[in-house]
Amino acid sequence: MSPSEQHTPVFDRIATGVPGLDPILGGGLMASGVYIVVGEPGAGKTILANQLCYEQARQGTRCLYVTLLAESHSRMLANLRSMAFFDASQLPQRIYYVSGFRMLEEQGLPGLLELLRREMRNHGAGILVLDGLVQAQEAAGSSRDFKKFIHELQVSAGLTRFTALLLTSSVGPTVHPEYTMVDGILELRERTAAMRSWRELQVRKFRGSASLSGSHHFRISEAGVEVFPRLESVVSRAQPPDWGTQRVRFGVPTLDAMIPEGLAAASTTLVMGPPGSGKTLLGASHLAEGLRLGEPGLMVSFYEGPDRLLHKAANVGLSLGSAVRDGRLTLQWNMPAECNLDMVAHALLEDVRKRGVKRLFVDGLSAMVETTHEPARISPFFAALTQELRRLGVTTFFTLETPRLFGPDMDVPLGTGLSGVAENLLFMRHLELNGRLRRLLSIFKLRDADYDPTLREFLITPQGIEVQPPFQPSPELLLTGIARFPGNHS
Amino acid sequence: MAPATETVLVVDDEQGILEALADLLREEGYRVLTASHGKEALERMAEVKPDLVLTDWMMPVLDGPALIERIQKDPELRHIAVLGMSAVDTNGLRRQHPGMEFLQKPFDIRALMKQVRKALDAPRVREG
Repeated sequence: MSPSEQHTPVFDRIATGVPGLDPILGGGLMASGVYIVVGEPGAGKTILANQLCYEQARQGTRCLYVTLLAESHSRMLANLRSMAFFDASQLPQRIYYVSGFRMLEEQGLPGLLELLRREMRNHGAGILVLDGLVQAQEAAGSSRDFKKFIHELQVSAGLTRFTALLLTSSVGPTVHPEYTMVDGILELRERTAAMRSWRELQVRKFRGSASLSGSHHFRISEAGVEVFPRLESVVSRAQPPDWGTQRVRFGVPTLDAMIPEGLAAASTTLVMGPPGSGKTLLGASHLAEGLRLGEPGLMVSFYEGPDRLLHKAANVGLSLGSAVRDGRLTLQWNMPAECNLDMVAHALLEDVRKRGVKRLFVDGLSAMVETTHEPARISPFFAALTQELRRLGVTTFFTLETPRLFGPDMDVPLGTGLSGVAENLLFMRHLELNGRLRRLLSIFKLRDADYDPTLREFLITPQGIEVQPPFQPSPELLLTGIARFPGNHS
Repeated sequence: MAPATETVLVVDDEQGILEALADLLREEGYRVLTASHGKEALERMAEVKPDLVLTDWMMPVLDGPALIERIQKDPELRHIAVLGMSAVDTNGLRRQHPGMEFLQKPFDIRALMKQVRKALDAPRVREG
């Protein structure tokens, strides 16, 4: 055979039908592979395996689902009925459920193996799910017998070209030495901290191609299992395009006048300030200006719901409601306790890609940060997110709440991970002067643009934000929140 | 309470369901035989002819449809009443198998007993 006639066998991929999982697996499971899905009871193994079966059935592949002392088929189907992927019309022609427990009880692993081979052949199935591998393991006379069972199943899968998913709850060590014989191991686990729990998936082993390492969040809802690959592991490593001299403006003439050239397009701006200082309105202005120029916008919020935001914007003359109605502006509202960094990031990036969003406003960075229990991840996560947004040409505006309303100390929460990657930093705060509360704004840093560094008072009027001329009294003290006019020591 | 002379053969691959059904039917006064798949059911029927076969649909070795077909083709067995049961949509199964009655799993015990009684009481052609 000449070198040109030789070819490396290329394994077909089996789509799992689980959003987010195939990218983690490098494109799906390898056809004819034997995979173990391990996790505590309730971890989501059965849903994941069924989701794969219904996806494959939709593509015309027959699936055999064999249970070993698991929940009854009627109970399993009753639980699956509410899932979006469930399709009763696939039963029993394309998805077939049988119990192998009696065979295992009476004839042990050889009997079970024979049953699996025969049923796969009889049904012409391309997918086998064995739910309850731990029962087979317990029925094995020795570790060697169990290894032999898995080995023979692998041989059958290779010969007759079926892909097998073996589901097991962990007993003793999470991953038994016997499990290492298979082509891949997926571990599902649930973790709890501060009375909050979240689910994680980890590919412990995957033969045949690279997979995304580390843990990835997943959730189970009526949509079934949805995995959110860790953002840092999936964003493009390519250098973002050079957006050249493209510039964007806030849409607040008096503020834009402080930055004559405008902000660099596709840059990230972080606006810090205490509650009520006007951060959200500045972000809304950023979106409204984009809409005026025909740029699709997206707002991601954590505290204030969409209706409240629209109402707030309308009060200062920013009419965003019609843009929401006609789809030029999307509002994504998240409950911090019910989401995590990757869910938020994937949802916003999906919308950015789908609608070609050019302006993004994330209101409440600290709430977003609170969605994770892994502080060490925050910096790499935001580096990855801003890099991806830059690559997609999105000009992003984040707000970060500073805790103190007034006083000589400034608490700037620079540990949120974004301050290091934001090209532009704006600071807002309150100032009490002669019994009157004032709002101040200053530009700390701006990428590739000259700016007016003076401290400015700004007003929120029914017509929007109005930045005032440079503030005169005791400028050296303004950032402390305590100011005096020159000569006024009372 | 059913006369103890009536025999029901319950066929199901799920051991828990098989045993629970057998217990319920015994409590109602039926004589009960069990099998975990169609082939085993045919072996039982070679020894004892039941009055009713209550069979699951999806089973290993020999499934419900294949078992019914064997029963209907066998002059020795075709007089036996049959009742299907399944966790899948039984309306679809009724359309595919007109003339067959099905019980939807999970079932209401009273509905189950009523269906069993109805199947046993239905007139059947007995060849002899």
